[in-house]
Amino acid sequence: MAEEYRSFERGGTGWFLQRVTAAFLVVVLAFHFFNLHFLNHAYEVTFAGTEARMSDVGYFATMWLFLVTATFHGVNGVYNALINQGLTGTTKRVVQVVLGVAGLLLIVQGTRVAMAMSTLI
Amino acid sequence: MSQSYDRGAVEDFGRWTEFSAGMWAWILHKFTGWVLVGYLFTHIAVLSSAMQGGAVYTETIQTLEGLFVVRVMEVGLLAAAVFHILNGIRLLMVDLGIGLEAQDRSFYASLVITGAIVVASVPTFLSGLGGGA
Amino acid sequence: MSTQPQDAETEQPAEEAEEAEPESEHQQRRMAEKARRAEERARTREKRDRVAEDEETYHLRVFRYDPDVDGKGDPYFDDFHVPYEQGMTVLDALIYARDHYDPSLTFRHSCQQAVCGSDAMFVNGRQTLCCKTQLNELDEPVRIEPLPHQEVVKDLVVDMEHFYDQMEAVEPYFQAIDTPEVEDLEEQRQSRENREKIKMSTRCIWCAACMSSCNIAAGDNQYLGPAAINKAYRFAMDEREEDEVKEHRMNVLADEHGVWRCQTQFSCTEVCPKDIPLTEHIQELKREAVKESLKFW
Repeated sequence: MAEEYRSFERGGTGWFLQRVTAAFLVVVLAFHFFNLHFLNHAYEVTFAGTEARMSDVGYFATMWLFLVTATFHGVNGVYNALINQGLTGTTKRVVQVVLGVAGLLLIVQGTRVAMAMSTLI
Repeated sequence: MSQSYDRGAVEDFGRWTEFSAGMWAWILHKFTGWVLVGYLFTHIAVLSSAMQGGAVYTETIQTLEGLFVVRVMEVGLLAAAVFHILNGIRLLMVDLGIGLEAQDRSFYASLVITGAIVVASVPTFLSGLGGGA
Repeated sequence: MSTQPQDAETEQPAEEAEEAEPESEHQQRRMAEKARRAEERARTREKRDRVAEDEETYHLRVFRYDPDVDGKGDPYFDDFHVPYEQGMTVLDALIYARDHYDPSLTFRHSCQQAVCGSDAMFVNGRQTLCCKTQLNELDEPVRIEPLPHQEVVKDLVVDMEHFYDQMEAVEPYFQAIDTPEVEDLEEQRQSRENREKIKMSTRCIWCAACMSSCNIAAGDNQYLGPAAINKAYRFAMDEREEDEVKEHRMNVLADEHGVWRCQTQFSCTEVCPKDIPLTEHIQELKREAVKESLKFW
């Protein structure tokens, strides 16, 4: 099965997911900036305020999705930039592993931080 | 043909005056992308202070926000984010095959709107300085 | 050889000999007339020389490189001042420079009418076909270099092997499985709409201007490049090829070094001398590839 539709695994998936996450991030990043610089001023941020926001299920879910999509979009973007430079062979493999691990660690740490900020979990 | 000559990449920055709109859009998109992904990691690192308790978190944020340099960098971050968003929308349109003949104008529009939003946001981004920490 | 010019030549001395003999008014009149004509001729010649002196010239700065000659192994620029004629193209100027100043100046050219695709060069920082670029539209000095991102063989001649390899990789020829029976139909018809759809993509003349302008093709040597992808588009979108053939073509295109590498910089579209909407075609193929894959989900 995978053999047959291999084309999708060979770059197409990355390209497509990069676009899907982009569409999501455009909205959420704009919201995030507006929320924490205009609605709430960044210099007035306190743990209590953050906790109040993060304890709303919808907000928590949005922020966690924001973390995951942004990490994917960013790490995949860096990977693409390197592939465009003609990366091949072992170097390419190493870059894949390093970027994959870095992305994974970021998501894990981000999730732990999010849980520490919320009364939900 | 005993030998041939490789001139390397001639689009290196020495020829920046010859770049076209699409090329500039790509360079800026890539640059702002690097900035944003760099910030993403930094951002999570800073927010990790929340794991050491609410007081540490509040203290960390307020100290950082009290620094002028941080505020200036935030304006830079806003510029990067806004451009990346607007040019990102432009690129999504291009991917959907919409308005390809206007790709240069939409790039200039992204630049102008980014500039306008950033300038208009400077007061907000610098407000409350000195009051906190 | 025609005998006519010879006749004309032999006629003249005969005439002069005739004139020398009898002295008559008639003859004096003819002598006066002759002198007047000679004077007129001299005047026009003088005038032409004067025009030539303050004639408009164009300053060319041409990239030179010749590994086989001592001292020319390191690239340098040569200056040529070429007399301008209305309608002169960059190729015309190069030909003039070669024919009048330096016969060793090497560049490819053939049809001189933007059909053969052999004279794509880097003129004032932009890939262009020299035979369709007017000199008077360019700033001086006109800097002429070989196509970037290809190895320079000599002067303005680059090695096109890699470009041709990429073109071959997409199987740039029509390959339908079922061809119509000879008795039924002699032609394999295509609908007008389908012809319109692929029309622009058929105009490629393999000049490699797009490939040279592409920043990604420069970095990733395996990237198919705009020309090859456009060529694949021409056949993948041709309704006369069966679905199996199209699937095979899409498989080649959906490779990591296929359509996905395009970063929509529009460089190729901007330099294409045939105005092929290259980026548009590449984008359409990306969407097509994603659609094909999503179908099975």
